[in-house]
Amino acid sequence: MANNRGKSAIIGIGEVPTGRHSDQGAISFALESALMAISDAGIDKSEIDFVIPTGSLFSSQFSNELATCRLVEELGLKNVTSNCEVFSGGSSSTNALRVASALIETGRARSILFVHTDKLGTGVSAQGGIDLFSTAGISMEWEVPYGQHYSTVAALATQRYQYETGTTDEQLSAVCVSNRKWAELNPNAFFRTPLTIEEVMNSKMLSTPLRAKQSNMLFDGGAAYVVTSGARARDLVERPAYVLGEGGLVTHFAYHQEPDLTRFGWAQAGRQAFEEAGITPGDIDVAEIYDSYPIYQLIAFEEIGLCARGEAGALHMSGATAPGGTMPTTTDGGMLSKGHIGAGGSVSLLVEAVRQVMGKAGERQVPDCRFAVETAVGGTYMDAQVTVLGAEIP
Amino acid sequence: MTPNDVRPAKPVPVVAPWARPFWDAAREGRLILQHCEDCDRVIHYPRMVCPHCSSTKLDWRAASGRGTIYSFTVVQSNAPSAFAGDVPYVVAVIRLAEGVQMLSNIVECDHDELFCDQEVEVVFEHLDEEFTLPKFRPVR
Repeated sequence: MANNRGKSAIIGIGEVPTGRHSDQGAISFALESALMAISDAGIDKSEIDFVIPTGSLFSSQFSNELATCRLVEELGLKNVTSNCEVFSGGSSSTNALRVASALIETGRARSILFVHTDKLGTGVSAQGGIDLFSTAGISMEWEVPYGQHYSTVAALATQRYQYETGTTDEQLSAVCVSNRKWAELNPNAFFRTPLTIEEVMNSKMLSTPLRAKQSNMLFDGGAAYVVTSGARARDLVERPAYVLGEGGLVTHFAYHQEPDLTRFGWAQAGRQAFEEAGITPGDIDVAEIYDSYPIYQLIAFEEIGLCARGEAGALHMSGATAPGGTMPTTTDGGMLSKGHIGAGGSVSLLVEAVRQVMGKAGERQVPDCRFAVETAVGGTYMDAQVTVLGAEIP
Repeated sequence: MTPNDVRPAKPVPVVAPWARPFWDAAREGRLILQHCEDCDRVIHYPRMVCPHCSSTKLDWRAASGRGTIYSFTVVQSNAPSAFAGDVPYVVAVIRLAEGVQMLSNIVECDHDELFCDQEVEVVFEHLDEEFTLPKFRPVR
């Protein structure tokens, strides 16, 4: 595969706070985020020549509006050659970045705006959310009739992973505590009060061994970013986030087809991304790991090489991943504490990785953050996606 | 708890045309698996073409009905609406003796005594006139 290290860069980000905003339409989160990202990039909106919205889950009508250029019209963008939806559930952010980078590298586009918004907090009921996620990304023939849904999906991986590695319930709960400590510092996060391992362990059992406080919750929100070429980026902003490496591996559609529920495709995706980036996991200053449930944070963390197999739980217990730790991880609080906004789960993480690399993370800023790794995955953890960003090109 | 009369009906399999023989056999209490005549591999779930060699020469073989629990979970709350009345129920990934995996439910068991790699065997549960679901129980 061609090496495109640093040929594209993210130069602007925008994000609205995650929450319950029943009085606002999803369109307003999208427009606010987009305008913030364009302003952050230091360009005029007339320079945007390509728009990539991702799909929205709460309303197919709204999702169709995004696919049919509503954002371009609402924002008054006059020089857009294409509005092209990229949608792969939770990995949409990363897949969109991959498409955007390729368009930039080939000269097909100069300034690309990516936008995500959804309204899963107030656009659907609590039971409606459970029911939506008992079919979205789940096989209607081979899984839905057996009562599969996202709690069982996460629980199945957790059960087998604990069986194989000896990771404890306390260690899994420590992921939630670590992410909460970061969320306490994030004004855009929903859950900002301290959390203890005991509280997580005493929360309601959803689907053994998975408990309620080990599950993400759905909210409203939106975020956006602007991509341009690496060469142009350094003229526009002080500290661009260069796209150094990308890797991915699709391993299944139906969850039961996954050959290894304790590993997925992360190892190969990680190798690919680090190889292209020209750095190793040891060079990483901050890790933004897809955390819809704690099990996935542990597995991805290990498999991309941030620690050895079976050691991520103890590392999260030790405080290494929390503020002040040696491997700051999921520093916006993640889906577990910032809140899950659908395909935006990984958009938040990507935007946070950029924020850290650009030096704009405020109280959460990791000192001298040169290299960040971000992971994303869609459906039932079908397509491990890894992106390495950097403040410099190795 | 929601009364039975307003709870949504159980979802039935949305059947791909080439998988019809699987469901016809299940209705008769038989577990069958697709097999590729060209590369001699067993396939599940059924495909239009062999996922290994892309052959269209696919036939069906009787399965042993035996396997092990790769992983399992006991659903205790927050189930999908159609399954709210079934809680607690067990969802599991089964590794069949033929080397393929399938999702199913574990039934006729003590939930506290299930474990990974436990041996299980197929049983059949009538869903409606058209569909019978293969499920599994621990081998005694």
